[in-house]
Amino acid sequence: MNATTSAALVLAVMVAAYIVAKILKISTELSLFAAALAGALAGGSGIPARHIVEGAFTYFDIVLIFVTATLFMNLLKESGAAVFVVRAILHRFHRHKAPLFVLLTLLLLVPGALTGAGSVTVLIMGGMAATVLGTMDIPKPKVAAIIFVIAGLSAAAPPVNLWAMLTAAGTNMPYVGFFLPLLVPCVVLALLTIFILGWKSKPVDLEKALAELPEAPPKMNWFRVSFPFLVFSLLIVAGRVFPFSFPILGLPLMFAAAAAAAFVLSPVKLAFFKTSRDTVHQLLPLIGTLTCAGILVQVMALTGVRGLIAITTVTLPITVVFLTLFLTLPVSEAVLMWGAAPVLGVPLVLLFNTIGLNPVVALAGMSVIWPLGDAIPPTAIIGRLTTTTVGMKEPYTKFLKYCLVPAVLIAVVGTLMVVFSKKLAFLTVF
Amino acid sequence: MNTIVTILYYLLTAYVAVLLVANFLKNKKWQEEILYIIVLIPFVLRLLRLK
Repeated sequence: MNATTSAALVLAVMVAAYIVAKILKISTELSLFAAALAGALAGGSGIPARHIVEGAFTYFDIVLIFVTATLFMNLLKESGAAVFVVRAILHRFHRHKAPLFVLLTLLLLVPGALTGAGSVTVLIMGGMAATVLGTMDIPKPKVAAIIFVIAGLSAAAPPVNLWAMLTAAGTNMPYVGFFLPLLVPCVVLALLTIFILGWKSKPVDLEKALAELPEAPPKMNWFRVSFPFLVFSLLIVAGRVFPFSFPILGLPLMFAAAAAAAFVLSPVKLAFFKTSRDTVHQLLPLIGTLTCAGILVQVMALTGVRGLIAITTVTLPITVVFLTLFLTLPVSEAVLMWGAAPVLGVPLVLLFNTIGLNPVVALAGMSVIWPLGDAIPPTAIIGRLTTTTVGMKEPYTKFLKYCLVPAVLIAVVGTLMVVFSKKLAFLTVF
Repeated sequence: MNTIVTILYYLLTAYVAVLLVANFLKNKKWQEEILYIIVLIPFVLRLLRLK
């Protein structure tokens, strides 16, 4: 048997194991792990303990970023900072729809941008944003669509974009130059989404909105809200301004410092250990996916499957690749979640690099499309989470229908970014 | 200074490992228990300085 046939057989076994696991109602993370074990067995490697450990370590640093960033966000929420900001914005802008939408969009973008997870946006800001949008007479499926799409874009927004980080790690490319190529499309598309879907809404019913929102702690103020972000920003800036004299802290320690500032400045007493435990429990599906995807990718490399996928992708006609990105990326996200980035993203970026496109802008374009898959079954984790948070009783398809227009826009912008990545290379300044 | 940063990372790793173990012990769902163990592997190996 030649190497290609052997790798193809192992791939078939892995796919079959994944499907069987899903049929048996095993979670996506454990299904990925089952596929990895089945692949190793089929490839004649038995249970490769060393490779399982190697794979589990692949995204260890990203797991640490995830945990510390989400802890920071959860501490801010528990301290009342999030509700304080929402109430302040409502008081000031309840009569003016445009600035209200802009500020609401920015608030929704922050948690996901800092943590790299759309689910964090939904959990921290989703409920409050739904309350405000609900008082503007926007139907719940539409509210859910607005929050879901912006949450997805927040996950793609810088500084933490896991799809880009995972793919960059797999291609030995530094995670540098992504800030503007990610920021510009994410902010523009998020604004377009809220304005398109919320255009026909009525002005906010201020009394109703304030009554439905939780009260902010009396001692909360703008200093307590902004200082933790200032700490985080200063640490990032210091590392860039004094690269030779300032120690390399890394994002996990920076987020930990910001979390410590949020904890110390909180006007209410916070249960730090309980919030930490809740954070880890909340993140289990996400850090589990990262760990299991790392193991899967390691086993794919061990058995030659990764090479097979890479070669197949690289030899596809480039027009076909461009025209199917809007389909392949969300579908791969729906099946593998972040595992899609190392499995499919790596060969695609290598392909784009080979034909002379700018890999950073191309990867940024792909990263904007990927989150759309979070609304598609079988996983649909963030889609389901959003509809639950909003309290939507209508069929799920109604929510999907409202997602369609922003999704088409996102797919078009993402694909154009890939196709014209070379001309957009000026965006990769920092 | 780098040594301090390294120590801080070990402390952070230990704290997350404690959280994972605490959640594992309280958990009643078998799928989540297995997932906690898988996620815990790199944390324990890093703390033991085996990897």
